[in-house]
Amino acid sequence: MKLTTKQLTLCAVLTALALAFSYLENFFPLSLAIPIPGIKLGLANIVTVFALYALGPAQALLILTGRCLLGAVFAGNMNALIFSLLGGFSAMLVMILLSRSRHLSIYGVSIGGAAAHNCGQIAAACLTLGSMAPLYYLPILLGASLITGAVTGVAAACLFRALVHTNILR
Amino acid sequence: MKRFPELKPNFWDVIVVLAVIALAALSAMTVWRGGTETGTLTAVVTADGQEIDRFAPADLLDAPRTYSYNGVTLTVAAEDGNGLRVSSSDCPTQDCVRTGTISRSGQSIVCLPARIVIQLIGGAADSSGVDIVIG
Repeated sequence: MKLTTKQLTLCAVLTALALAFSYLENFFPLSLAIPIPGIKLGLANIVTVFALYALGPAQALLILTGRCLLGAVFAGNMNALIFSLLGGFSAMLVMILLSRSRHLSIYGVSIGGAAAHNCGQIAAACLTLGSMAPLYYLPILLGASLITGAVTGVAAACLFRALVHTNILR
Repeated sequence: MKRFPELKPNFWDVIVVLAVIALAALSAMTVWRGGTETGTLTAVVTADGQEIDRFAPADLLDAPRTYSYNGVTLTVAAEDGNGLRVSSSDCPTQDCVRTGTISRSGQSIVCLPARIVIQLIGGAADSSGVDIVIG
């Protein structure tokens, strides 16, 4: 993949932003309410949604991969890597597919992504533990993804409204 | 800019929301179906996917049980009635302790650092089968 300097810079800035979001999430531990270790809110998905529309699927994937790998390195926790990889890539895949539909707005895409993110994380928990017990929380997490997905959608929509008159999106 | 997104929610987004709700309801019916199991309430402890212990929650009233796996030691104690909880663990996250008490079939306590799962099986599940209602 050949990137222009502008694209490369945007990718780097967005990867840093996603990492900052991942760090910020530690202050709102979702695991207090839903006691599955490794489960997170998915704030970093704002960056994925934005990158998907602004830069396209290839660069969004690049940012996602960088975020997951660097996040695991910084946290010093390789257990968390499988959670962020499975969650992140499930969300990415579903959002790429949904965003191809001309009808769906950014809200539908991000809610679908949040639901897929949570399914991926449950799958990671099942794989890590070698047990189907985490499936018990799937209905609760799918319900929660409606809220977190809508929040991500609102944030991303605000971002596009604010940036529409700048040359970042051009 | 690859493609400027649609910024106003519309009818098609409602379809996505309904699909997620349907999926949640379907999975709730599958994983929360209670009352089909028979027998007494039993706690099954697995580590790394292998069953390592099986006991009736009432047994804990005599003495708490301790498990050490993957460098983590956790203690399972009885909670009055027929529930049980992880009373202490030396893991950094403490998610298993914060899970609190489990007392119904299908519920579980998960400890990721130790890769231990404590799951309740058998016995009549709670009639509603609902823990929390969100939204």
